[in-house]
Amino acid sequence: MNENKTVLIIDDELQIRRLLEITLSANGYKVIQSSNGKEGLIDAATYHPALIILDLGLPDIDGFEMLKKLREWFFKPIIILSVRNSEEDIISALDRGANDYLTKPFRSGELLARIRVAMRDFTDQNDLQTLEIGLLCIDMINHTVKKNTEFIKLTSTEFSLLCLLARNQGRVLTHQYILKEVWGFSYIDQTQYLRVFVAQLRKKIEDNPSKPTLLITESGIGYRFGE
Amino acid sequence: MDFKKITGNIFLPTVNLKVNHYLLSIIIIGVVSLLCAPLSNTLNYHVVSLILLFVVSFMATFMGIGPVILASALGALVWNFFFIPPHYTFHISKVEDILMFGVFFSIAMLNGVLTTRVRQQEKLAREREKHTNALFQLTKELSKTGGIDEVLSIAIKQTSDHFSFVPLFILQDGKNILSTSGRLQKEKHLSQSEYEIAEWVFKNIKKAGAYTNVFSSVHYTFFPLQGTRVIPGVAVVKLEKPFPTVKQEFWDTFVALISNALEREFLAEIAQKARFLDESGRLYKTLFNSISHELRIPIATIMGAADSLLNSIHSENVQMMLYNEISTATIRLNRLIENLLNMSRLESGHISVRLDWYDIYDLVNKVANDLKDELKPYNLLVSIPDSMPLVKIDFGLVDQVLYNLLFNATQHAPVATDIELNVSYDQGCLNMQISDKGPGFPVDMLPNLYKKFFRVDGSKTGGLGLGLSIVKGFIEAHKGNVTVENCIDRGARFTIKIPSENQQIENLNLDDNE
Repeated sequence: MNENKTVLIIDDELQIRRLLEITLSANGYKVIQSSNGKEGLIDAATYHPALIILDLGLPDIDGFEMLKKLREWFFKPIIILSVRNSEEDIISALDRGANDYLTKPFRSGELLARIRVAMRDFTDQNDLQTLEIGLLCIDMINHTVKKNTEFIKLTSTEFSLLCLLARNQGRVLTHQYILKEVWGFSYIDQTQYLRVFVAQLRKKIEDNPSKPTLLITESGIGYRFGE
Repeated sequence: MDFKKITGNIFLPTVNLKVNHYLLSIIIIGVVSLLCAPLSNTLNYHVVSLILLFVVSFMATFMGIGPVILASALGALVWNFFFIPPHYTFHISKVEDILMFGVFFSIAMLNGVLTTRVRQQEKLAREREKHTNALFQLTKELSKTGGIDEVLSIAIKQTSDHFSFVPLFILQDGKNILSTSGRLQKEKHLSQSEYEIAEWVFKNIKKAGAYTNVFSSVHYTFFPLQGTRVIPGVAVVKLEKPFPTVKQEFWDTFVALISNALEREFLAEIAQKARFLDESGRLYKTLFNSISHELRIPIATIMGAADSLLNSIHSENVQMMLYNEISTATIRLNRLIENLLNMSRLESGHISVRLDWYDIYDLVNKVANDLKDELKPYNLLVSIPDSMPLVKIDFGLVDQVLYNLLFNATQHAPVATDIELNVSYDQGCLNMQISDKGPGFPVDMLPNLYKKFFRVDGSKTGGLGLGLSIVKGFIEAHKGNVTVENCIDRGARFTIKIPSENQQIENLNLDDNE
């Protein structure tokens, strides 16, 4: 199958677009550039990109509005790349269907990693019977977790939490999303539970719980399972 | 004697009361004459004249001039008719009695007129005294005020105490334009034309409106508030009738006092603005100098390195070094911008603290990770007790605080020394203590540490001098405090106390099974 590696960049800053074009082309992506929201919407419909990198501060259309418009029919990944770095902005972008969020200034390496994660097809992850991440092996059917062939005892909540994060490896999941998925809707504001279980889980699965590499904190936003 | 009360009551200017007084004077003279009639046999009729004279004089103390004249004339006639022989005629036989009659009438009149005049004088003096007292009171009250609003509220209260109206003050906006909003009292509204009259009064510094020569058809009277250098605005009042002269003087002085107080406040405001401008000018200069310096260094590095990479051929090793320089310079630039942005957030008062539960380990890990390159040459010793509860803080803000303090430590302490971070929870407060083994702070610099753009003299490291003021601002946004001291042996120690709710982990209903 001929893999679609077209990336659409919607950003009004020429220098950013140029830098992204250089970086992405060097890594085998085909790049299309749009310098404003209207153009971006047309290009998205014309070229069917595999991923969109969207700036929130466009001259013509508000970023969140843009996200809403795109999400009406565009179901492939969207990564937000913006100077807006407040937690509220990030969370609301994620809530409105962005797959990931990177603030400018950014490191190219990090952007490439996020693009890889976003483009990974997560659909069949849910059907997987076992998940192997580094030294960790999660058996979905028997609800067991092995690290270095050694069984780790997890409570059922810890296991659900680990599965949720591991299935979305590399993706940032917001506090509210995790709480809703693992504990249920009524727990959506009970971040204290999440903190306690993340700390417990780290003690069990991390090599060094004070320098976590698997359960990574995205401060003020949520957690991401490391790669 | 209850004199005050009598004057107070009797001088109410109703026609009815005056008619009553005429009637009363007739009755009194009649009654006294009747009482004297039986005595006329035993007493000399001259004594009766003295009694009548006394009665007329007494009446003068509380009656107007008309009734007194009536009483004296009536007294003279009654005395003549009933008491001077031959009785029951107006004929006077003796020459001395004619003289007596004339003298009686004159004394009664004179007495009456003089007494009323004295009384009027006294009434005037009393009113003046009342006015003087009121003005003294107003001066005293106005001298204690601070701020235009307070002056206005006192002016309105005192005016309504001493006059029969509540004034409306329309003030200018500080740019010599009457302002419709802001300082206008809300409960009263002027029509457009009335407002235009107010503007006319403000521009021409002349009174206008009802009972004046200009625009006299409107209901209100407009008085300019006239200071010596500034015209603070216009006073608008609704008069039932024109001021009597005394009251007019009183009102003019009243308005002058209020105007002076308002002018004083206006001038104070202007001076305050000038001071502020001066201050911000100085701040702007410092900021400009230090920002341009701090920005130039990393930009120079980036330009130099990029240029070198573009124009010369280097070994891979040298290329790598140049790339690293660019990378370091951009990080430095980014940190600078971040601090400037945080500072402007603080300055604009847009810091909203978003509290949520956090695991303090997470915070420390994140900061240690963000600063891993800077911390590499040091031994970071973190101590967090096992019993540490979850705390409710704004992660982003406390993260910045810890970042800035640890970063500062790495900039000042000699390499391979310990940097200690002690975290604890005690009496409702999250405590964090950061100590280094650097040179500490010169004692006389300690009070200035948190000032914007302040940098310890001779400090070799770069930076805008914003780090600590951001620390202080963010901590205070949490209603906490930060203190600094020099350690006994060596180095500086920052202690942060943030009041915070806590959640003991054991108390959570985890309801979980293996």
